[in-house]
Amino acid sequence: MSDGDRLTRPLTREPGPKLGDEGGPKGPGVRKPEGGNELLRRMKKVDPDQAKKYRQRSGQ
Amino acid sequence: MRRILAGIETEYGLQVSGRGAAEQIDDAAALVRSYPGECLPVWDYRYESPRADLRGFQQARLNYDPEDAKFDVGRSRGPDSEVRSDRILPNGARLYNDHGHPEYSTPECWSLEALAKHDQAGELAVLAAARSYAAREGVEVRIYKNNTDFHGASYGTHENYLVPRSLAYEQLLRAVTPMLVVRQLLTGAGKVGSESGAACNFQLSQRADFFTELANVDTLYRRPIFNTRDEPHSRPSDWIRLHVISGDANMMPACTARKVALVKLAVALAEIGEAPVWHLPDPVRTFQQISRDPTLAQPIELTGRNWTTVREIFESYFAAAEARLDLDAELCSSISECRSLLDSLEQEGWYALKRDVEWAAKRAIIETVVEGEGMEWSDPTLQAYDLEYSNVDPEEGLYHALVHMGEVQNPQELDASLLERHIERTRAYVRGVAVSKFRDQVQTACWRSITFDKGAEVLELELPPDMEYPEHLQDAPDVESFIKAIGGTA
Repeated sequence: MSDGDRLTRPLTREPGPKLGDEGGPKGPGVRKPEGGNELLRRMKKVDPDQAKKYRQRSGQ
Repeated sequence: MRRILAGIETEYGLQVSGRGAAEQIDDAAALVRSYPGECLPVWDYRYESPRADLRGFQQARLNYDPEDAKFDVGRSRGPDSEVRSDRILPNGARLYNDHGHPEYSTPECWSLEALAKHDQAGELAVLAAARSYAAREGVEVRIYKNNTDFHGASYGTHENYLVPRSLAYEQLLRAVTPMLVVRQLLTGAGKVGSESGAACNFQLSQRADFFTELANVDTLYRRPIFNTRDEPHSRPSDWIRLHVISGDANMMPACTARKVALVKLAVALAEIGEAPVWHLPDPVRTFQQISRDPTLAQPIELTGRNWTTVREIFESYFAAAEARLDLDAELCSSISECRSLLDSLEQEGWYALKRDVEWAAKRAIIETVVEGEGMEWSDPTLQAYDLEYSNVDPEEGLYHALVHMGEVQNPQELDASLLERHIERTRAYVRGVAVSKFRDQVQTACWRSITFDKGAEVLELELPPDMEYPEHLQDAPDVESFIKAIGGTA
């Protein structure tokens, strides 16, 4: 990579290790959060492309 | 042990409807200037020296991201002080525009609890400025307390620790680096995907992808694990400021306190020459390896074809601290908490940490849709959830939803009154009282000093950073009494 390129340009996503295949102790199965549906209510409102559209200048 | 003064600077992500990175510096400046609370725009830049290096030289220039430089071609923005738009708040904090990011620098604190509370209060300061700016301009503004845009641009959350100048640079580097490399396991904010290096679905650290060097003075590009900036913000013959740039922004106050505690242990051990010795042949690679290993399973390479584990590195600091330091209650409690979390991780897996550790909380949210709804890890919606986790609006952010549901351990109430007052009587308390009570007489102020305009003369008062200042300062009837009470000559 030349010095003129952004050092950390986004990569084309390659197949990565599947979570749960890392070895070591395993956690219990992931459960939906308890105590109400506030999280799920907010997640439904999230724009699926929000991160795709999000661009920032490099900071420190 | 010596109590270690510390502070946290957080550069916030800023999204304004209809605007982009090219306008971000202008937008961040306007946002900061919209801050509706009490403040004074008199920052003193004289002691800033970002190119000075702890290794004893001055860097000719700092590296900038060439992508960002393209945005600035042909643009002129006026004086730097106008662009930065610094505000000093009555709690002694600094709010300003740093390279297009609204930045809140906490008042300096001694205790972990005070620092975590002030760091959290900073979210309210930036949010208040954003709402005021949005209402005036008729735009939508979102503020994110994270460290990446998922497209290769990172912005920092820096910690600052007051360290005696007598501590040699090499000694500090050797003592602190292994801790900086491993602490992400208990403090990382978590991230969906990667932006450099090996691809992965999820990693522990927001920042790991952005480090390419062990140590240098840069912060914007070619970032190091150990930043060597020599900008003490106090008398340089006595102090240095350890400027840690490798940590993540934390929404969980407990994670904020923990990340500071772990560095304080390393610094305190370095000061007495008792820090554990670990020779990591490639700290950058190890940092990124740990970021991709939530299991503690992978061995950590040492020089000489030796190996260790993350747990052993943590434990070496804890054991040395317990044996050699006169620890206060907060640090004792932090060590116990860290051991308990490591035990839980080893025995029960990462999910057991989801109420206490940011990356586990975030991963648990993400996996509700990966496992529960079959969403692919490559689906961009997951990074949208990651981003919205750090949305600081209590009515919108996913972290705040977890708090609302009782899913976060010791979340702490958001407390806007902390923007008006300081919990401890550090030099920030003095600064805060000065800009609040004697604003007409304060000509400028910075971390190190306050300069008073006394009509016929100008008086600069140095604020020693290790002093506890008298509580009655806030009752001083006039500026002369105030100056005398600090120890100056009115």
